[in-house]
Amino acid sequence: MSAEFVLEMKNITKRYGENTVLSDVSLSVRPGEIHALLGENGAGKSTLMNVLFGMPVIHATGGFEGKVLLNGELTHVMSPHDAMQKGIGMVHQEFMLLPGFTVTENIKLNREITRRNPISRFMGKNLETLDEKSMSIDARRALDSVGMNIDEYTKIHGMPVGYMQFVEIAREIDKKGVKLLVFDEPTAVLTESEAKQLISVMKQIAQSGIAIIFITHRLDEVAAAADSITILRDGKLAAVRETKNTSIVELAELMIGRKGEAVVEADKRTPPSDEVALKVENLYVDMAGEEVKGISFDVYKGEILGIGGLAGQGKLGIPNGIMSLYDAHGSVELFGKRIVLGDAGAVLKSGIAMVSEDRKGVGLLLDQSIEDNIVFTAMQIYGEYLKKEVNIGSVRIPIAPITIKDQKKIREVALQMIKDLDIRCFGPTQHTGTLSGGNQQKVCIARALAMHPKFLFVSEPTRGIDIGAKKLVLETLVKLNREQGMTVVMVSSELQELRSVCDRIAIVSEGKLVDILDPNASDADFGLAMSGIKPSEHKEKGDGEQ
Amino acid sequence: MTKSILKKIVAIILALLAVLSAVVGCIYLPKRSSEIGDDIISDMRILTIINATTGDGLIETYIALAKEEARLQAEAEKMGMSKRRTFIAEAEAATRAKYEGVDTDNSSINPDDLAEPVKFYAEKLKAYIDEEARATEEYRKAHYDEAEAKAQAEREKKIAEGKDVPETLTVVVDMSGFEPTEKMIELRLSADEAYKQMGEAFKKSYPLIDDAALEAFEESIEKIVYVAGDDFSSLYDRYVEAGSASAIQDKTSAFLIRYADDFIYIAIALVIVMLTILFSEFLIGKMGIPRVIIGLFFIALCFTSLFYDLPLDTYFSNTLVRMGMNSIMVLAMVPGIQCGISLNLGLPIGLVAGLFGGLVTIQLGIPGIFGFIAAIAVGGVIAAICGWLYGHLLNRLKGEEMGVTTYVGFSIVSLMCIVWLVLPFNSLKLRWPMGSGMRNTIGLDKTNFEHILDDFLSFEIGGFTVPTGLLLFMAFMCFVVWLFGRTKTGIAMQAVGNNPRFAEATGISVNKMRIIGTVLSTVLGAIGILVYSQSYGFMQLYTAPRQMGFIAASAILIGGASTSRCKVSHVLIGTFLFQGILTLGMPVANVIVPGSTFSETLRILISNGIILYALTKSGGASRG
Repeated sequence: MSAEFVLEMKNITKRYGENTVLSDVSLSVRPGEIHALLGENGAGKSTLMNVLFGMPVIHATGGFEGKVLLNGELTHVMSPHDAMQKGIGMVHQEFMLLPGFTVTENIKLNREITRRNPISRFMGKNLETLDEKSMSIDARRALDSVGMNIDEYTKIHGMPVGYMQFVEIAREIDKKGVKLLVFDEPTAVLTESEAKQLISVMKQIAQSGIAIIFITHRLDEVAAAADSITILRDGKLAAVRETKNTSIVELAELMIGRKGEAVVEADKRTPPSDEVALKVENLYVDMAGEEVKGISFDVYKGEILGIGGLAGQGKLGIPNGIMSLYDAHGSVELFGKRIVLGDAGAVLKSGIAMVSEDRKGVGLLLDQSIEDNIVFTAMQIYGEYLKKEVNIGSVRIPIAPITIKDQKKIREVALQMIKDLDIRCFGPTQHTGTLSGGNQQKVCIARALAMHPKFLFVSEPTRGIDIGAKKLVLETLVKLNREQGMTVVMVSSELQELRSVCDRIAIVSEGKLVDILDPNASDADFGLAMSGIKPSEHKEKGDGEQ
Repeated sequence: MTKSILKKIVAIILALLAVLSAVVGCIYLPKRSSEIGDDIISDMRILTIINATTGDGLIETYIALAKEEARLQAEAEKMGMSKRRTFIAEAEAATRAKYEGVDTDNSSINPDDLAEPVKFYAEKLKAYIDEEARATEEYRKAHYDEAEAKAQAEREKKIAEGKDVPETLTVVVDMSGFEPTEKMIELRLSADEAYKQMGEAFKKSYPLIDDAALEAFEESIEKIVYVAGDDFSSLYDRYVEAGSASAIQDKTSAFLIRYADDFIYIAIALVIVMLTILFSEFLIGKMGIPRVIIGLFFIALCFTSLFYDLPLDTYFSNTLVRMGMNSIMVLAMVPGIQCGISLNLGLPIGLVAGLFGGLVTIQLGIPGIFGFIAAIAVGGVIAAICGWLYGHLLNRLKGEEMGVTTYVGFSIVSLMCIVWLVLPFNSLKLRWPMGSGMRNTIGLDKTNFEHILDDFLSFEIGGFTVPTGLLLFMAFMCFVVWLFGRTKTGIAMQAVGNNPRFAEATGISVNKMRIIGTVLSTVLGAIGILVYSQSYGFMQLYTAPRQMGFIAASAILIGGASTSRCKVSHVLIGTFLFQGILTLGMPVANVIVPGSTFSETLRILISNGIILYALTKSGGASRG
C-alpha cells in the first residue's frame, strides 16, 4: 500500500442535461478505514456511487468531469464489471440474490470454480463441471469472516432478511483483491441487534485492510462505526470531518442546511385552533417501502401540518394508510367521528380528500379528459353531476331510474377549476395524459376540491414539477387553508417547502414519529429528527454528558 | 425535406393524371347514348348477326333442318327403325349435294343495307323484352307470398308426420299461371313484324338464306340483339367476345367510349391516392397504419368491382346487412375492453348461451317476434350466469386475460359440442333426422324468427335493400351501451379498465366492475348471435362459434379501438370496414382468380393480423 488513499475522487461534476446533480465533489478514502457518506435524499450520494462504479447511466448521459484515482493511479471505470475487477465491491440495499439458489451458489455466482470434463473440451469453458467442494470451502471462509455460522448449503429462499445482508457481504468479500467495499444503506432493513452485528463485521473487515464506504442517514451509526465522514448537500460537498472531531448535532446541521430560497413564504402564525380535526392513534400501515409502525398525532382544525422525513421512512404511508389505499389499522377520528380504515369509499365520504404522490399511478385517469377526471370522485362518492334525462338538442327524454353524467354541469365546474387553478390546457376535454406534470398535479388538486373536503391530505405535491407550477400549487394550498379554513396535511420530502408553508412539522423516521417541530426550529434539530433522534432528548443526553 | 418535396411532386403528377383521366371520361361517357355510340353497337351487331347466320354454318343449318324435316316425316309415316335411319340419311345426302359447291362467301353483304332494318328490329325487340321482364317480375312478386305459405305448410306437414325435412325452405313460384299481357302480345307481334322485315333485307343481300333458315335463327338472333338489362357495356362486351370487333371503324374512340366510366373511376381513385400520399403522416398518426391500409384496401376493392362492372350497390346492401348481423357481437367487445379484461375472446360463452336460447324457443315452437324475445331472454339469463362465473375466473387470473379468454373460448365451444349432441330436444327442425342430438346447422323459417329484424320496415332503393329493423336494433343496442358508458356505474367501470389503482383509491371495487363488464359482454354476445342467426337464416352449432370471438375482436380493432380503449363508434366503423372487405373481397377475387378461397384467406389474415398488431401496440399495458 504505497498510496495514502485507496480511493480518491477529485472535483467530480455531473450534469444530466441542464440539471447539475454533482458539482465539484471530492471524496478520499484511506485503506482500512470506514468512511461514511452522509446526505439527504437527492443530495447526490447515489450519483457519486454511480460514477464510481461506471454505471451505464453515467456514460449514456455524457460522462462526468473530474478524476477518479485508485491507489493513487488515475483510473477509468467503464462498467460495474470493470469496477469489480478493479477491486471495488458493492453491498446493495435491495438484495441481489437468487432465492432458489444455495448460499454457496449465490456467493460464487458467475465466479464458479470449475473442473474440465470431456464435454467441455469440445464445447468450451461454459460446460465445465462445478467444483462444489472448493466452492463451499471458499464460501465457508467468507461466511466465517462475517461471523455467520449458517450452513453454506442453505437456500436463500426463506432466510431472515438480516442473513441475506450478510450473504451479500460475504459474496463481496469472497471476490479476490477487494480493496474497497460500498455499503448502500445496509442497516435500513435490519433489526437493531443485526445492525450492531453488521457494524462489528464492518469494523472487522476494515481491520483486514479493506476500505469501506458506508452510506447511511443514521447519524448514531455513523458516530459508532465511521472513522471519517463526507457530507453532501444538494449536490455539493458540505464538509469532511473526522468522527472524533465532530458531534451528531453538527453532522445533522451540516446535512440539512438551508437549500436556496423558499418558493412560497406563508405568514407565520400561532396554530389557529385547539380543536382537533384529525386524531390518529397507533396507526400501522403495510405499504411496501413506506411502512408505518405505530404513529399517533393530532391535527388541529385550520392548520397546515407538514409531515417530513427521508424517503422510505414511512411518511407516505400515513396518508395512503388513512385513505385506505394500503392495509392499515389503528384508530383514526375525524372531528370526533371514527373512520373505518379499509374502505376507501367510506373514508372519502367522511370528508377527507387526498392528492396522491403517485400522480400517474393513482391520481389520474390518463386516457380520459380533464373534466371527467375532476368530477370523477365527487360523482362516484356523492352521486353529483348526474341527471335523469337524455338531451338531444332541446328535446329531453326522461330515462329515470337510470342516471347519466350531466355534461353541462361537469363542463361548468371544470371550466371554473381550470380558471381558478390556472390549469394550462387546450380545453376541458384534453386528455390528462398529455398535460405537463404541474398541470396534472393541478387536475389532481381540482379533483380533490370538487369533493368539497373538510380535510385534505397532500402527498408530495411538488414532486417532479417545475418551479413555476410548484409556486402555484403551494400558493393554492395556502390560499385554501387561509381563505376557506381547510385543514391540510402536507407530506413532502422537501423540508424547505414544509418549513415555508406549514404551521407545524412532524418528522417521521423508520415508521415512527420522531417529533413535531416548529418550522423555525434549527437545522440541527431537523437533521437529528430525520435520522431518528429526538432533538430534545439528544440535547438532554448531551447536557448530561457535559 | 426532400421527402416532402418528393411527396408533393408525386401528388402533382397524380393530380394531373387524374384530371386527364376525368376529362377523357367526361368527354366520352355521354357519347354512349349519342349517335356515335349507337353506330358502334349497330355495326358490331350486324356483323355478329352476319357471322352467326351466313357462311358455311348456314349450309350445316340447312342440313340440320332437312334432317329434322325427314325425321318428322318418318315419324308421321310410322317407319321402321332402319328404314327411318336410311330415310334421314338420304335427306341429309340430298341436301348436302344440293349445296355442293355453292358459294357461301358473305363478304358481298353490305352491312349498310342491313343497318336500318336491324336497328328497327332491335328497338322493337327491346320494347318487348323489357315489358316481358317487367310483367313476369310483377307476377312473381304477386304470387311469392302464396308460394312461400304453401311451401311452409308442406314443411310443417312433413314435420308433423315425422318425416325428414331439409334445413332450408326453398320457395319456387309457379310461373305456369302466367298469362302474357295484351301489351306484351302487341309488342311481340310488332317485333316479329320487324324481324320479318329484317329477314327480307337479309335475303336481298344474301340470297342463299331462306325463310326456313331465318325462322330457325330467330332465337339465337334475338339473344344477340338484346337480352334483358343490356346496356352499352354489356352489348359491346358480348359482340367483342363473338369476334365482331373488326366492325368498329374508329377503334380508339370505341375503346374510350366503352371504358369512359372506368376513366372517371380511375380519376377518383387517383385523387384518393394523391390525398393519401399528401396527408399520409396525418392519417397514419390519426388512425394508425393498419387502419389506413385496411381503409385503402376497402376503397381499392370498391374500385376493382367498378372496373369489372360488378354490382357494387348489391354488395353495399349486403355489407349493410352483414354489418347489422355482426355489430352486436362486436359491440360485446366494448364492455370487456372498458372494464379492463381487454379483448373478450371468450365471447363464445355468450354465443352458445344465445344459441341455446334460440333452440329452446324453436323446441317450444314460440312463433315470430315473441320467439325472438324469448330466445334473447333465455339466452341472456344463461349468458349472465355464465358471464358471472367467467368474470370470477378472470378476476383470479388478472394480467393473463388474453390467454385465459382465448382458452375459455375454445374450451366452451368444445364442451358445447358434447352438450349439443346430448340435448334432449326432439323437434325435427332441431335434431338429426336419424339418431339424436342437434343438427350442425339449424335452418330458421318464418315460423321461427328468420329475418324478424331484417324484414321489419325494410325497403328497397334501386338494387339496394335497407334492412331497417336490423339497423334500428343495432342503433338501439349501440345507444344502450353508449348510455351505460355515461352512467355512474359505467364511468366507474371505465375507470377500472383505465387505471385500477385510481378506481380503488376512490373506493370502487375493481373485481365487481370487472364482473359487471364481463357479464354485459357475455349477454351482448348472446343477443349478438341471435341477431346474426335471424339474419343469416341459420343457427350454427358445434364449432361454428369458435372463430366469432376473433372476428368481433378484430372488427372493433379495425374500427380504431385498442386493447384498453374503445368507443361505440369504433364498433360501427370497424364492423362496416371488416364486413365490407369480406363482402367485396369474394366476388372481386373470383373475377381475378376464379374459384379461389381468397375471401376466407383474407378473413383469417385480417382478423388475426389486426389482433396481433393491437397486442404489439398495447405492450404491457393490457397486463394491468
